[in-house]
Amino acid sequence: MKAIKIQLWYGLLLLGILLGLITAYRVLIGTGFVLYAKTDILVWTMPIAAYVFFSLTSSGLAFVSSIPVVFGIKRYQPIEKRTAFLEIAVLFAAFTCLLLHLGSPQKVYYYLFSPNLASPLWWLGMLYGLYLIVLLLSFRKMHKAQVSKGLGVFTLIVAIATSTALGWLFGLPDARPVFSANFLAMYFPLTGFGSALAAVLLFSLAYHHFAKVPLSGGDRNLYEDLGKLFGFVMALTLVFFLWRTIVGGTSATAVEFGGFRHMLSSGWYHLALWVGLVIPILMITMPAVRNATWGKITAAALFLVGMFAGRLEMVLSGLVMPTGPKAEGQPPFVSYWPTIWEVLVFVSALAVLLFVYTLGERNLKLSEAPE
Amino acid sequence: MPKYAMVIDLQRCVGCGACSIACRNENNVPDGIYWSNKITETAGTFPNVRFHYLPTLCNHCSDAPCVEGCPTKAMHKLDNGITMHDPDKCIGCRYCQYNCPYEVIYFNWQDPHKFWRNPKPVIEGGTSSPKEMAQTVNNGNGAPYSNPGRGKTLPENRPKGVVEKCTFCDHRIKVGEIPYCVEACPADARIFGDLDKPDSKVNRLLGKFKPYRLKERLGTEPNVYYIRSFNPAHYQRTKGGI
Repeated sequence: MKAIKIQLWYGLLLLGILLGLITAYRVLIGTGFVLYAKTDILVWTMPIAAYVFFSLTSSGLAFVSSIPVVFGIKRYQPIEKRTAFLEIAVLFAAFTCLLLHLGSPQKVYYYLFSPNLASPLWWLGMLYGLYLIVLLLSFRKMHKAQVSKGLGVFTLIVAIATSTALGWLFGLPDARPVFSANFLAMYFPLTGFGSALAAVLLFSLAYHHFAKVPLSGGDRNLYEDLGKLFGFVMALTLVFFLWRTIVGGTSATAVEFGGFRHMLSSGWYHLALWVGLVIPILMITMPAVRNATWGKITAAALFLVGMFAGRLEMVLSGLVMPTGPKAEGQPPFVSYWPTIWEVLVFVSALAVLLFVYTLGERNLKLSEAPE
Repeated sequence: MPKYAMVIDLQRCVGCGACSIACRNENNVPDGIYWSNKITETAGTFPNVRFHYLPTLCNHCSDAPCVEGCPTKAMHKLDNGITMHDPDKCIGCRYCQYNCPYEVIYFNWQDPHKFWRNPKPVIEGGTSSPKEMAQTVNNGNGAPYSNPGRGKTLPENRPKGVVEKCTFCDHRIKVGEIPYCVEACPADARIFGDLDKPDSKVNRLLGKFKPYRLKERLGTEPNVYYIRSFNPAHYQRTKGGI
C-alpha cells in the first residue's frame, strides 16, 4: 500500500514536471511568450514573482541552516541536514521559474563570455551559480568538522549576498522609485528568512507525519522554539509591510508610486496582508495553537501563500501603471491575471522542488544529526 | 569620433506619423512594436481643451540604464553615442525594458511578422495565402515588404525571445545617410547631427532655442532634444480675477 502511495506521489510530481516541459516547448519553440499574460507594460509577471519567492526562500533556508553550524546553537542540529537539502531543492524550483521566464535561455553562456560587471542581474546570476555549487559542496561535507563550518560560513555569506543583490536588482532604476533598493535589501532577506522558517516547519512536521516518526521531547522543544522565532519574524515582516504601505502607498505623492497605490486595493495585497501575515501572527500568538502541530503547519502554509501573493503584488506595483508612449490607448492601470501557462510555471517549479526533496528524504537520511 | 543626437522641433512637427511609418518600413518593425512612437495628451476642460503631440524614440542616453542593467552587454554603447542592441547576446530577460524610463524598448513575444506565415488564403479560392505572398515577393523572409538593408548591422527580422528598439538607423549612418525618420519627415521637424561638431545643425539649434529632454532629472543624459512647441493660440492680455 505504501509503495503504491509513493508511486502515485512520484507520478503526480512527474506529471507536474512534464507540464513544465510542455510549457517550455510552447513558449520557447512553439507559439511564444504570448501564452503568458505579459505585455510590453507588464514585462515581469508571475514567473518572476515565483522566482523571487523561491530564490529568497532558498537564501532564507541558508540562514536557518547556519544557526547550528555558524552560530553554534546546537539544539538546531536535528533540522540542519533537512534544511540544507531543502535549500538545494528550492533553488532548483527558482531556476525552473527563471528558465521559463527568459526569452532566450539557450544563450545564458554569454554571462561568462560577455559579462557586464555593472549589472545587478549579472551579479545575481553569478552569485546564484556560486550558491548552488557551495550548497552542493556544503551538503556533501555536512557534519565533517572544520570543513563543514567553513563551508557553512561561506554559504551564509553567499546567501546574504544573493538576497540583498536581488534588492539591488529591483531597486536599480531611478524611474521606478517604488522599488527602493535600500528597503528591499533589508526586506528581502527578512522575508526570505520568514519563508524559510515556514518551509522548515512545514517539511519537518510533514516528515514526522508521513514517516510516522513520533516527535520526541527534544523535537517538540525545537519546533516550539522555531514556532516562536517564526512568530517574531512574521511580526517584524508585518512592521516592514505596514511601513512600506504608509511610505509608498499613502504618504508619497510622486506619480511613480501610483502603481503601488493602485495595488493597495488588489486581492494580491490583501492576501499578503491578511492571509499571509495577520491571521498566522494571531495564530502563533496563541500558545495552544502555536504548540499544536496543526497550528504551526497552518500558520506556515498561510504565511507562504501570503508571501507568494506579496511577491507578485510587489512585482506588479512597479509595472501596472503604463507611462510614456506605452500608455497610449491604455487605461491608467493595466490589470493582470495569470494565464494557465504562467500558473503551470509555478506548478512545475513546485513539482521540481517536491521531486528533488522526496528523493532526498527517501535516500539521504535528512533527519540525521551529528553525534 | 562623432556623438550623434537628434533635435525635434515641436513647432514644425505636424503629428502626421510619417516618422513612425518610415521607421517601420526601414527597420522591418513587426506588429505591436514601435521603435518610433508618440505621446499624446488632451489637456484642459471642455470647451477649453488642447491636443498635444510628442514624438518619441530611443533617447540613446549617454548614461543609459538599459546598458547598465544588461547582464550580457547585448545592450551596449557604440563609440558614436548610439545605444545598440545585439540580439545574438540577448537572453530575453527584459531587464532593459524594466530599467528604461522612457518605455521605448519592446520584446518579441512571438515570431515576427507571424501573419505572413499563415498558409491559409485570405479568401478561400480567391486569393493566395500570406505565406505564399511572402514566399513569392521576398523569398519567405519575414514580410513581403522587408528591407534587406536593415540586415547590414542587425538581423533583418529579429527573432522571438529578444528585445528590439531604435538604433538611430545605424546601418544608414554607416554609409553616410541620416536616419530614415529624419529623411521622411515632411515638415523637417527632425534634425540629426553630430554634437562634437561645434557648428553642426543640431548644435546651432540647441544654442538658439531652450532645449529640453525627457525626464532629465534622472540623469540619463538623453541625446534626443526637443525645442519650441507648436501653439498658435492667443489670448487677450489679462490679470485674471476672483
